[in-house]
Amino acid sequence: MRPLKPAVIKVWTISYAIRATLLLIATATFDVIQLLRGAEAVLPAGLTTGAVLVASIGVTVFVPRWMYRYWRFSLDDQELYLERGIFNRVRTIVPLRRIQHLDVSQNLLEREFDLGKLIVHTAGSDSNSVVLPGLDYTEAEQLRDSIKHYILEDAV
Amino acid sequence: MESPNTAPQPLDEGQRLHPMTLLQRSLLSIPAFALLLIPFFRSGGSGGGEWFNLIGALVYGFIALPAIIIRYIRFRYWITPTEIIIHSGVFTTKKRNIPVEKVQNVEIEQSLLPRLFRTAKIQIYTAGSTTAEGVMEYVGLPEAHRIRETIRVYQQRADAVAPAPALSTAVDEEPAPAEEGGLLYASPAPRQDAMLFEMPLALVIRGGMYRFSLIYIALAFSVLQYLDPDPDVWVAWLTRNDMFRTIDTLAASPWVWGSVLVLTAALLSWLTGILVYVSRYYGFQLSQSERKIHKKHGLLTLAEGTIPLRRIQAFVFRANWLMARHGWQSLELQTIGGDVNQAGHPVAVPFARAPRAQALANLIRPLALPDAFEAVSKLMIRRDVFRATVILGLLAAGIGWFWRPGWGLLALLPLAVLFSILNYRHHGYALTNDYLMVRRGVLTRRTWAIPIGKFQVFYTTATYFQRRLKLASVYVDTAGAGGWPSPTIRDLPAETAAALVETLNEQFQAGFAPDAPAMADLASDATPAAEDATDQSGQGASFESLHPASGHSPASDPDQYVRPKSMPPPAASAD
Repeated sequence: MRPLKPAVIKVWTISYAIRATLLLIATATFDVIQLLRGAEAVLPAGLTTGAVLVASIGVTVFVPRWMYRYWRFSLDDQELYLERGIFNRVRTIVPLRRIQHLDVSQNLLEREFDLGKLIVHTAGSDSNSVVLPGLDYTEAEQLRDSIKHYILEDAV
Repeated sequence: MESPNTAPQPLDEGQRLHPMTLLQRSLLSIPAFALLLIPFFRSGGSGGGEWFNLIGALVYGFIALPAIIIRYIRFRYWITPTEIIIHSGVFTTKKRNIPVEKVQNVEIEQSLLPRLFRTAKIQIYTAGSTTAEGVMEYVGLPEAHRIRETIRVYQQRADAVAPAPALSTAVDEEPAPAEEGGLLYASPAPRQDAMLFEMPLALVIRGGMYRFSLIYIALAFSVLQYLDPDPDVWVAWLTRNDMFRTIDTLAASPWVWGSVLVLTAALLSWLTGILVYVSRYYGFQLSQSERKIHKKHGLLTLAEGTIPLRRIQAFVFRANWLMARHGWQSLELQTIGGDVNQAGHPVAVPFARAPRAQALANLIRPLALPDAFEAVSKLMIRRDVFRATVILGLLAAGIGWFWRPGWGLLALLPLAVLFSILNYRHHGYALTNDYLMVRRGVLTRRTWAIPIGKFQVFYTTATYFQRRLKLASVYVDTAGAGGWPSPTIRDLPAETAAALVETLNEQFQAGFAPDAPAMADLASDATPAAEDATDQSGQGASFESLHPASGHSPASDPDQYVRPKSMPPPAASAD
């Protein structure tokens, strides 16, 4: 069982921060409108923004760490095994013979930290793509290449 | 005339759709036209807005009708020994080539209008997609059957001509079949179908009686809403003024009035349910040929379909509580690459005695439901009751805050407790040599039978609340399942769940071992297994050398958490 690369915490933190900022802009706009309406306001001005600010700082700081703490994976010659989840702990076994095709992906943030994701596609309906994030990019490619040999012609 | 031996280049060759297509499409566009016109006629053309509607309708007419004609002219198709070619498109030309060997299923569908004109809609399905790859709407009925037979014959030939024939040689070697009616068609070989199941009308009606569909009532109401008739006129007409007194008496007591309304609605929806059911399943026939299941049914819309046996991923037996009580069941086959309208679960047996439905499934693939299912943890009841209490409490508080009787919702709590107990009793699983079986549901009872060889991905999940009670859920994903409800085994004791997944995984892997007794699986599965045998002996042993840096093998990682798992012997067993 291996953990992810710690750098993935930074990637997640930044992406959560971006989302939190967008949300804050929206709530701040709402609050400004409240302020302009004065007496007709439903909620006291600043309350929503304040609450969202506190919540999003909490989420941005702690959630990536927790996610990282519970992420584990392993690979052997029969299966890829993933374990993750803060509230809902999920363990996934992907038999290698069931894999349809493999992707290695890297978004802008991940490129900054030289990380990559391995995306495993199966014919399953709820698991047609199983994502393994937080790998070194070269490692993700290595994993892909070693799994590649196990893909069958007709995995259904 | 076109010949399959030459690649079709100019658009003026190839087959056109049936000319009646023009008339049918025009007729079909009338409802939209009429809807646009309704506001105009209702107001008698007084206001300005209604004139706008009239102009809209006319513009629609000017565009829609020529579009129908152009679409017809631009549509061509060819059936060649190697592929099906469809050219279509008004503004952008679409050329679609479907290789014959990729075709999974050719469906012929006849709804009411095409039946009157003796035409049909052809839908060609391939494995890759859930929607039809090729649609021909409409061709003449004999032509439709000929197309299906031709594709079948070409497919059989493609199978016969070695594994992967190069396209060009395959075409050259193909002896030109006898020419017939402009297109080259092979004479259809007789197909040996074994009839599995037929439904006499009485059984169809009986099946309909077990259906309850409130949707149709909602639909009827919304149509009425749009047409907005004067209810008083309707009532007067219906009762011819005789029943006004009765209605007045009823109206005096809101409770009586309410229950009469509800009963009427229930009766109406029950009757529409029967009608819809009968029109769908009238003359239901299920037959089986060597590699496919064929079904045919419908009163107004005649649906014909085939399900290739190897595409079947799971069996789902289904019954609502009344059906279950009276010993009836229906059987659905979870498939891939089928009709998207059936959400991957085409009905194989709409309505039959439970043992009969199971016997039919057994004919399709050896299958016997166990007498008893393993129960899950009793803590499931506690979780359900807790959840119901929280939801009901919040709802009651929320509604009760504004409207006092809202607190009455809490009276439903005993019912929720009862339901939770029933939910536990009807949940269970069983693992046989060949299947994982899961049953769930109180009002709608489903039993899934998933062939072990069709497993895709295994999941164990445990939410925060489940972990506090040392519980976990197990879910085996299969192809074509999708959405809710899923065959999840809920609230097993955590150790049982872990052990179950290990067993499932081992059985799954064992099924592919080269020396394993051949699983009684659907036709084609032998091939991947055989391929895999070579694959494993080639790759398995050298896995560490392939991937030395990772060092993730549980044994070499003592300080890390190791998944409690009896490692199956690696490919050594293959030798």
